[in-house]
Amino acid sequence: MIEAKDLTFSYGKGKQALQGLYFNVEDGEIFGFLGPNGSGKSTAQKILTGILKGHGGKVSLFGQDISSAHTQAFFQKIGVLFEFPYLYANLSAVDNLKYFSSFYPKEQLRGIDEVLGELEFKPDFLNKPVASYSKGMRQRASMARALISNPRLLFLDEPTSGLDPSGTVLFRKIIEKERKKGTTIFLTTHNMLDADLLCDRVAFLSNGNIMALDTPKNLKEQNSSHRVVIDYLYQGKREEKTVDAPELKAGIPFAHDRIISIHSQEPTLEEMFIKYTGRGLS
Amino acid sequence: MWKYLYPLFKKDCQMMVSGKFFLMSLGFLVFYTLYVNFGYTKFMDAQLYHVYLYDPSGTQATVSPLVQRVSSKEALGTILLQDTNGVGIDASAGAPMLVFYKGAENADRHRAAYAFSLLQPPGNHKAELIGPNTPEQKARKEITCELLFFEITAVGFLGIAAVLFKEKGMGVIRIHAILPFRKNLFILSKLAIFLLSDLLFAILLTVLNVGLPDAGPILPAVLLQTGVLSLIMALAGLSCALLLKDFRQFTLAYLLIAIFAATPVFLSANTAVKLDWIHFHPFYHIYMGLKNAYFGTPVNSPAYYLGCLAAMAVLFTGAQWVFRREMGKEG
Repeated sequence: MIEAKDLTFSYGKGKQALQGLYFNVEDGEIFGFLGPNGSGKSTAQKILTGILKGHGGKVSLFGQDISSAHTQAFFQKIGVLFEFPYLYANLSAVDNLKYFSSFYPKEQLRGIDEVLGELEFKPDFLNKPVASYSKGMRQRASMARALISNPRLLFLDEPTSGLDPSGTVLFRKIIEKERKKGTTIFLTTHNMLDADLLCDRVAFLSNGNIMALDTPKNLKEQNSSHRVVIDYLYQGKREEKTVDAPELKAGIPFAHDRIISIHSQEPTLEEMFIKYTGRGLS
Repeated sequence: MWKYLYPLFKKDCQMMVSGKFFLMSLGFLVFYTLYVNFGYTKFMDAQLYHVYLYDPSGTQATVSPLVQRVSSKEALGTILLQDTNGVGIDASAGAPMLVFYKGAENADRHRAAYAFSLLQPPGNHKAELIGPNTPEQKARKEITCELLFFEITAVGFLGIAAVLFKEKGMGVIRIHAILPFRKNLFILSKLAIFLLSDLLFAILLTVLNVGLPDAGPILPAVLLQTGVLSLIMALAGLSCALLLKDFRQFTLAYLLIAIFAATPVFLSANTAVKLDWIHFHPFYHIYMGLKNAYFGTPVNSPAYYLGCLAAMAVLFTGAQWVFRREMGKEG
C-alpha cells in the first residue's frame, strides 16, 4: 500500500525534518508512527497525503509513484483524521458531513446516520452547530468525516485525543472494525496503549529517523529480561520471588501453598521507545 | 467542475449568511440610497443666491435681470433678514458695497463674486454642453460611482477577509487539502460569490440612485468595471487574509490599502488637488473606468483591460500560493 525509500524532507537550511526513512505498509495493516513532537511524523503524513511537496527519495502509494499519485482518484481512496477536530463551527455535524461528502462519488459513501450511529453520536446534537459541542463530540464528528467516504487508506493522527475512556474504547473498536474490512491504517500517535493494542507494526521516530520498526510484541520480547515475578503464599506468609522464565518449564521451582499472581517482566512499549530513541514521548 | 463548485459555493453562501455579510450589504445599500436621495441631491440642488440692489442714483448701468431692486436701505436690511442667503449691494454712495446677513468667509467670497458678476455687462459666455445629463443626474451618477467604488474597495474587501479568517480559525482550510477536487476551485468559489454579490449591489445601487431609465443604458459598462474592481479586490483580500496571521494584522494592512487605493484617487478625481503621479496609480484608472461608465463613455483601451487581466493573474497566482501554504500549516 505504502512504500518509502530514503524519504527526506527539509523545511529550509538546517531544518531537516526527515533524514531518510525506509518503511512499507501492507494492505490491511495498522501501521503506527510513534514519536514525540517535532520528530517528523506529521511531516511524513503530510507528504503521504500530498499536502507537502518537495520531498526527496522514493515513495509510492497504491503502487504508484507519489509524484503522480495525488490525483482526484487518490483523494477519493483516502480518509484523514487530523490531530485537531477541524469542522465548520457554524454548521451542524450533519451539515458538515453533507458538505464534505459531496466531493466523493455517491456510490462510495456511507450513510451519515449510520456513521454517526456507529460513533454513538448524541442524537440531540445532530442538528446543533458544532460550536456547541464538547471536544469529544467534535472528535467523533471528525472521525465520521474521515470514515464517511469508505476509505481504503485511513490516516489517523492522535485519534483518541480528547476522548473520555468510553470514547477511547469505542474508537479502538471502530479502528479494529476498519482493519477487519480491509482498510489500511496509518496511525500517528503519542499514545503507547493505542499503539500497543491496535498496531500490527510500529516505527519509532526520533529527529527524523526511524530508530526501530517491528511489531509491538517483538519489540518488547527482544528487550525482555525473560523473568517473571511470582506472588505466593507459603506457611501463612505472603512472599514474592523473581525467577527466569525457562525455569518455569518444569513448574514452579520453589515450595509454596498458593500462587497469588505471576507478572511477566516484559518492558512496556514506552520503555522500548525511550531505549531506542533516548527520549520520552511527551 | 460544476459538481464540485456547487457545494463550495453553497457553503460559502452559508458562511456569508452566518457572518451577516448580506445583511451588512443590504444595510449599506439602504444607507447609501437614503443619503443620495434625501441628503446629497437636496444639498446639491441649492438655489442661486438672490441679489438685492439699492441704487437710488442709478449708478449701475448694466444690471442683470436676476438682480432685485429695493427702494431703501431699510428695505435692504429687512429683506436680508428674511433671505439670509441673499446678497445685498448698496450702491447709494456710488461704488457698490456688499451687505451680508451672515456667513462663512469662503461662502461670502463665492456670493460676492456672483453678486458682482450680475453688475457686469452681459458677454458672450455661453457654456458648452458636454453631456445630456441634468445637474441632478450628474450629481447622482457621481455620488453613486463614488459610493460603489468605496463599497467594493473597502466593505467588500473586509467582507472576504472576515469569511476567510473564520475558516482559518476553524482550521477547515486544511481539510480541503485532502478532498478530491481541484484546489483552485476553493478560490474560484469565493471569487464567484463576491463577484455576484458586488454585481447585484452595483445593479441595485445604480437603479435606486440613478433611476431605471438612465441606469439601463449604462449598466453593462458599469457592471464590467464593477466586475474588474470586484475581482481585483477579492483576490487582494483573499491573499492578505491567508497571508496575515490575524484580523488585527489584516486591519493594519487594510488601512494601508484603503489609504493607498482610495484616498489619492478620490482627491485627484473629485477635488482641485492635482497629483502629477496619479496616472501611475492603478486604482485611478479603475475608478475613472467606473466613472466613465456611469457617464456613458466606457473605456475601450485594450491596454487597460490587458493590465487588469495581468493584475488578476498575478493576484490569483499569489492567492493560490498562500492557500497551499495555509493547507500545509500545523494545527
